Amino acid sequence: MFQNLIDKSMKKSPWLFHINAGSCNGCDIELVSVLTPRYDAERFGFHLTGTPRQADIVVVSGPITMQSRDRLIRTLAQVPEPKCVVSLGSCPRSGNVFKGSFAIDGPLEKYTHVDVSIGGCTPKPEAIVAGLAKAASILEEKRKAMRKGGIEAVRKMEAEAEKPDAETSGSTADAPAGEKAVKEAK
Amino acid sequence: MQVLLVAFHILVFPGLLFEILMGILLLGTCNKLVARMQNRVGPPIIQPWYDFLKCCGKETIVPRAANRNIYLGIPYVGLGIILSTALFIPFAGMKLVFGQSDLIVILYLLTFVSVCMIIGAAASSSPWAGVGLSREMVAMISYELPFVFVILAVAREAGRGTEAGMTFSLADIVAYQQTNGSFFLHPALIPAWIAMLFVIPCEIGMHPFDVAEAETEICEGTLAEYSGKPLAAFKLTHCVKLFVMTSLFAAMFCGGINTGIPVLNVLIVILICFAVMFVSMALPHGACARFKTEQVFRFYWTFVSGIALVGLILVWCGF
Amino acid sequence: MSAAVSNFPIIAIITFFLGAFLIALIGRLNKVLRNVLVFISVTVPLVLMCLLIKPVMTDGQIVAYWMGNWAPVSDWAIGIGIEVDALGLFFGLIVTLAAFVSALYSFTYMNRDDSLENYYTLFLMLSGALLGLTQSGDLFNIFVMIEIMTMTIVALTAFRVDYDGALEGGLKYMVVGSIGSTCLLVGIAMTYRQLHTLNLAQIASKLPGNMNAVTIAAFAFLLVGFITKASLFPFHPIEADAQTVAPASISLMISGVITKCGVYGLIRVCYNLFQNIDAPSVEILITGFGALSCFICVTMAFNQHNFKRLLAFHSISQVGYVIAAAGLGTALGLNAGLYHAMNHLLFKGLLFLCAGAVEYAAGTLDLDRLGGLSKKMPKTCALFLIGAASISGLPPFNGFASKWLIYQASFEKGVSSGNFYFVVICVICLISSVLTLASFVKVSQSVFFGQLNPEFEDTKEVPAAMRIPMWILAVLCIVTGLFPNQVMKYVTGPAANAAINVGTYIDTMLGQNTAAEYGIASQATTEIGKIGIWSPVSWLLLLLIITCAVCLVSVIEDPKKTTEEERFEYNKSKGRIAKFSRDGFKAAGKELPEAENAPAEEYDKPGHHRNPVLSGSTMTFTGERDPKYEVFFSGEMPEYSQVGGSDLFWGFKHSWRRYFSYWRKWHSGIVNDYVLYGVAALAFVLLYAVLFV
Repeated sequence: MFQNLIDKSMKKSPWLFHINAGSCNGCDIELVSVLTPRYDAERFGFHLTGTPRQADIVVVSGPITMQSRDRLIRTLAQVPEPKCVVSLGSCPRSGNVFKGSFAIDGPLEKYTHVDVSIGGCTPKPEAIVAGLAKAASILEEKRKAMRKGGIEAVRKMEAEAEKPDAETSGSTADAPAGEKAVKEAK
Repeated sequence: MQVLLVAFHILVFPGLLFEILMGILLLGTCNKLVARMQNRVGPPIIQPWYDFLKCCGKETIVPRAANRNIYLGIPYVGLGIILSTALFIPFAGMKLVFGQSDLIVILYLLTFVSVCMIIGAAASSSPWAGVGLSREMVAMISYELPFVFVILAVAREAGRGTEAGMTFSLADIVAYQQTNGSFFLHPALIPAWIAMLFVIPCEIGMHPFDVAEAETEICEGTLAEYSGKPLAAFKLTHCVKLFVMTSLFAAMFCGGINTGIPVLNVLIVILICFAVMFVSMALPHGACARFKTEQVFRFYWTFVSGIALVGLILVWCGF
Repeated sequence: MSAAVSNFPIIAIITFFLGAFLIALIGRLNKVLRNVLVFISVTVPLVLMCLLIKPVMTDGQIVAYWMGNWAPVSDWAIGIGIEVDALGLFFGLIVTLAAFVSALYSFTYMNRDDSLENYYTLFLMLSGALLGLTQSGDLFNIFVMIEIMTMTIVALTAFRVDYDGALEGGLKYMVVGSIGSTCLLVGIAMTYRQLHTLNLAQIASKLPGNMNAVTIAAFAFLLVGFITKASLFPFHPIEADAQTVAPASISLMISGVITKCGVYGLIRVCYNLFQNIDAPSVEILITGFGALSCFICVTMAFNQHNFKRLLAFHSISQVGYVIAAAGLGTALGLNAGLYHAMNHLLFKGLLFLCAGAVEYAAGTLDLDRLGGLSKKMPKTCALFLIGAASISGLPPFNGFASKWLIYQASFEKGVSSGNFYFVVICVICLISSVLTLASFVKVSQSVFFGQLNPEFEDTKEVPAAMRIPMWILAVLCIVTGLFPNQVMKYVTGPAANAAINVGTYIDTMLGQNTAAEYGIASQATTEIGKIGIWSPVSWLLLLLIITCAVCLVSVIEDPKKTTEEERFEYNKSKGRIAKFSRDGFKAAGKELPEAENAPAEEYDKPGHHRNPVLSGSTMTFTGERDPKYEVFFSGEMPEYSQVGGSDLFWGFKHSWRRYFSYWRKWHSGIVNDYVLYGVAALAFVLLYAVLFV
């Protein structure tokens, strides 16, 4: 019973940790606007924490610059399981306007499994809230999987979601949208 | 039967379960009120309960450099101490497991809870936690002076008529108020309870005074390395502390309330707890940005201590 | 009183001195023989003192003994008397216990020093002098013992001559301590001139009726003398210097016992000899000295960078508590003071021994360099935490019980006398308590917790022989904290009553009804209230129940956790461990970014030498350990970065910077200045005594 309660509350209290991997600050501002009175993500229990140890959802913005890469990898490793990684904006998935730069070392998938990606340059706050809500429900499923099969089950779930034709939950592969945005920008 | 009753008092009401429930509701309501003040919808009232459960379900990571036993054990000790502290405070004039209780003991037990947090932070060996514990300690020094003045003022007033002329015993303080009216309405003690309202948020570490757990500047400070169940224990400690402080206020200043019906008394005290929470926590939370450490210290040792000292002197002169 | 029992005190004193002489003679020959001798000479007095507990503490008898059987002739004490009442026995127990623990600790702690026979000779002489001081019934004998004590302690302070400042500390102690000795001698001479006797009981019977300007001056001189020995406020810098440089076992003796002898002297002088503790002016003077030292030294301790120096300042601060309580002149106050005096020996002794252990293991006491030792010395850390919790007054340890009594006593005194001054004393005591806590938070963060300095990577736990004496003190800390009512009933209560009932003291020494002849009423034994409001044992039980309940709930089966090794093995089995190096990157099935194709030496530069490796769902690096279990460093590579020592309590120190810089200048380290402060204090007390007492 207690375990079921915990599973349910996973979805209701997802705490965010935000990593700026070389973002232009546009997405960061939009993420903060999600917590303002107008959108008020806190009503879903979202809460920005200051340390990866307490985070459930890691929000990564920016095209992963060479300078931020090592820091990103270390910080991601420090988040306790179960966790979700959300890429914010087009940069982490595609590099966006920075694609091809000598200074970036993306995309984010190279370093971690990405559960939800929110496309756009920058995404609208509504899209961010929707993406985060999706991440929260993935979090609950991951917790359930983890309870039954340990960490391996979570990995399996992630691997299934990574398959190109996967119908399973997670991974709203929004990278193409990002690519489109890049082309438009160009 | 007697044993069962004691067990009921310790574990259910006004003990363990009731404390936790009240703490969660108080914190949840506080968050909700702050959200409403900022024109937000705000999280559900039982959000702290969800947070607690969620933390229970997360992996507990012990940093390699941390002292494992102390790091994992001390949060539960802190939780145990704060839960037992609540049993020392007479709740709505009810007969407690401990017929006697003492303000100085409560002062030191509350200190012990903060010390548990400090030792836990120190054991995690994070530099962020190091900065956080230093700030926590400064906050503790800050509120201690006005708190001491308030305690002495109440002890002096409640001790009138006794042989020693003063009493630290909370049971005596409540008994005195039952016969002579609540201290809340006593003119000499008005500065004392105003000061106490200021002491409460700093003691709990609520928003404008949460220098030790500043999220953005020092990465959650004392809690920087905590995750999983120990973190859940700390979060619950925070909630219960809220209840302990508000019910301490109710016992110290509103102990004279007696309608004759026990249920009604309990309800009134619960209401007082919520009112104290609103005035001393939600309002400053909604109105102020976080203070700097030395601002907290200066604020408490000048302004709040000044008020509390005026209260002590008024009581001393017998107004 | 059986004849055998009355011989116990003198046998105990003689054992110490005999041991000292024997070790001086034969200690050089055999190390084992020497240690056995030392052990015997510290154990026998302790046993004898413990045997005295029943007749003196419980039955309320007073042991009187005339040296060479020179009994009083026609009511005039002509011989040297030894008189042990409950107060004397209380301090005698403190001395013998401290000597026992300190000697036990020295066997291992001092084994890296040479010429140890000198050390033990001096040590036993010191213990003998201290015991003689507490047992003596003769004022001049007390002075002689104090002189022996001062000389031996100067030598012991400077025992490790190679230490920085050891000789300086010894010299300062000698010079400033001599002010105290001189004051005592002058005070004794003046008393003798007035009363023609040196026997304590006789002085006590004659003095109250014979107060004049000279005896008041004598009172002032004696007061300053004992204040110097207790190292209260203007005399405290010498104490701090001495305790810092002395070996830890001697620091224990200085802080735990020598300061207590000052306290003992003050109590004897004020309660027994002059019996003027009830005078408000005396109360204000003594509690003032106590509270001032209490507060100034606790704030000074804040800024120290040396573990032992910090403890030294705390010693004086705690003695300040004792004096502030004992100076209240009430039975409860004296009780509280004695209780705290005992507790101070226990917890401060424990802390000094911990400091010694740290010094022994790590080789330094610098708070800015140490850190993270709890992983290397977990047992010492546990002992330190007990000591720190006791001195900070955290329930249920002993410091809480005595501090609670001090607050109660001082506030009660304030209310009953209507004097707001005593409320101020109470507030100072309460605030000093939280400041004490703060400086022990500082010590625990900068010595035992926080990050381990790479220099101390190979630190080892100290041997068990050093931990046993520490455990003795730690267990006593817990026991005296858990049973405060019993301690008050059987230990401090009788001692306080003995100090108050001076009539019995006089009668035992000089024959029945002597006190009544001089108009000193024999007071009834005052029953001191219990700490009924605080029962630590039941609280502990409650805490246990609740913690069990919490644990029951929290023991929910965890989702299967992965350790660092499992994580690595898992990734290896999945073929996900792959170097993103120039030749091996294809194994991961991913493309290597061009920037990674830098020349080999580029990899060794910061930021480049770490190769990402897939591990779990996220990557880790080869060449550094799994970052998951590293401390969060905002994503940076973990490095040594300790927040401790002088980095702590910024907001507080900043707000008090003027105060701190004033006192920093005040503690100039120049012995002339310290002498000047001493003389100024003497002048002040003389003036105060002449004007108000």
